[in-house]
Amino acid sequence: MAVEISRELQEILNDPQSIKVLATTDPEGRPHVVFKGSLHVNEDGYLEYLEFIESSQTNKNMVHSIWFHKTVAINVKHEKQSFQIEAVPYRALIAGKEFEKRYNQVRREKGIDLSTVWLMEPLEIVEETFEKRRLEEEKAHPILKHLDLLVEQEKINEK
Amino acid sequence: MAVDKNWREKELSLKEVINKYPDVSPFIIIKTDAQRRGVDYTEAALSRVDVNVHQTVTRSFAVERSDQVDHSPFSLLLRDGTSILTGRDMVEGYRDPLVVDVVDDKIMILDDGEPLEEVFYWEKPDFYDKFTSSGKPMWHIAWARPLRIDLNPNQYCQFWETPGHGCKYCAIAATYKKSDKEQFVDLQDIDETVHEALKQPGRFTSIFLTGGTILDGEQLLDAEVEQYIQILKRVGRNFNGKRFPSQLIGTAFNKQQLQRIYDETGLMSYTADIEVLNEELFDWICPGKAAKIGYQEWKDRLYQAVDVFGRGYVNTGLVAGVEMATPKGFQTEEESLGRILEEAEELAKHGVSAVACVWNVAPGSMFFKQRTPSLEYYVKLSKGLDALRRKYHIHIDMDNYRRCGNHPDTDLSRV
Ligand code: SF4
Repeated sequence: MAVEISRELQEILNDPQSIKVLATTDPEGRPHVVFKGSLHVNEDGYLEYLEFIESSQTNKNMVHSIWFHKTVAINVKHEKQSFQIEAVPYRALIAGKEFEKRYNQVRREKGIDLSTVWLMEPLEIVEETFEKRRLEEEKAHPILKHLDLLVEQEKINEK
Repeated sequence: MAVDKNWREKELSLKEVINKYPDVSPFIIIKTDAQRRGVDYTEAALSRVDVNVHQTVTRSFAVERSDQVDHSPFSLLLRDGTSILTGRDMVEGYRDPLVVDVVDDKIMILDDGEPLEEVFYWEKPDFYDKFTSSGKPMWHIAWARPLRIDLNPNQYCQFWETPGHGCKYCAIAATYKKSDKEQFVDLQDIDETVHEALKQPGRFTSIFLTGGTILDGEQLLDAEVEQYIQILKRVGRNFNGKRFPSQLIGTAFNKQQLQRIYDETGLMSYTADIEVLNEELFDWICPGKAAKIGYQEWKDRLYQAVDVFGRGYVNTGLVAGVEMATPKGFQTEEESLGRILEEAEELAKHGVSAVACVWNVAPGSMFFKQRTPSLEYYVKLSKGLDALRRKYHIHIDMDNYRRCGNHPDTDLSRV
């Protein structure tokens, strides 16, 4: 079941300065991770990225994912904020006016070919911003830490 | 042929086949069954057709659909980009067709009332609404798959001029005789139509030619070779003489003819359909091909084509399932698969890929009363052909889901 992408995360995903990573797996479960600068949220609320290389490992893994409903992972980082999204491919757009719109944009901006417009549905979103995660960890697992962090170093050194 | 009301009791259902083969894409299994059984459209599904957007008309050498008759979509796309080449008028079987309906506001394909997958109607290319300078609608000159321009310059086949020489599953003669179309498509019309089609950025990734056999010429088939060379040369002008993504399905030409095509045109890949991978059945089902060229010679010519076009750029099509036609076909699906895949392996060893079209019993063909094999048969065959390509490292770029879309086995090669 798709979840809604908050306005804040939409802005981060649609910011060209954000770093976006897509992790997929092949049929044997081997992971494959790539940067996908084109990843963004489209007008219909789908996560969308442009695949320029038809025979790329990511493209093959995406096909495998859509065939067998296997999920992929996305991480987007903007300044200190970071989010992980678990998603499932919804559609490989390879033809038709919607595809051609993206194709023409790619031709104008990059001058290269376009294989596929991948649309994905987000299933789960977790904020992975380090400071936020660190505080959450302290609260949820107070026993998981080095002891020396709990004493005042000056007092220890005095003795 | 009337639908057998009990057919579902005699074979595994679509859902059962999907469950039995968890390593095979359910999308491809659905496609295979839709091509085997055909599809029908509910009124709700038809109300989603927009003739300004969707492809409803087509003139090809095997199918004639004019807009006055029917506004059903020509064919379908699945979410993964897989094409389903089928329609309500392409199949005449003893099983009832899959149904396209609207469910929860989405256009879905259903079997036995159960929604299986979302489908999308093929969009027509811009050139479909244009006319040649001679006044003909351009869709009479070329037709389109989602990413391919299809040219069928000869809408008839000379094998039908000798009684008993037409291929038994083929409807070209019936299609031709039913319509008032001209046998040969004019070269200038082709030139203008392809030129117009190329004005649509992002639409097409290849040009495809096929048509009926022309036996005439100094050497057998020279006239057919000449016809394709003239077209490829004219079309090639659009690409400044460079090689361009293209496929020709011709009759099996000899080495000299193949070399001529390669040297004089920008053609990148070649196919000569052997149709059925067994010599005795080839002789029975394709008597014209058997009489004029012969099974072993057909295979030799495919091997020679690899020398000319290169490994991965030559293949051969099968009308998969005709090998089980009665009374002379294989008696069991197991025997049939074993024998066909053994022959396919021999081709693969020589660098020739065998690709299967799902045999649908075409109205107007001699085999119109035959029954096609089970869905499971096609799934096993697709797996087998895909495995052979992997074993012998033959890529199938020339005939994959984007260029052709008619072969479930090449769909499996996507991952
Ligand atoms: S060669 Fe056979 S299949 Fe091809 S058009 Fe002629 S009769 Fe039909």
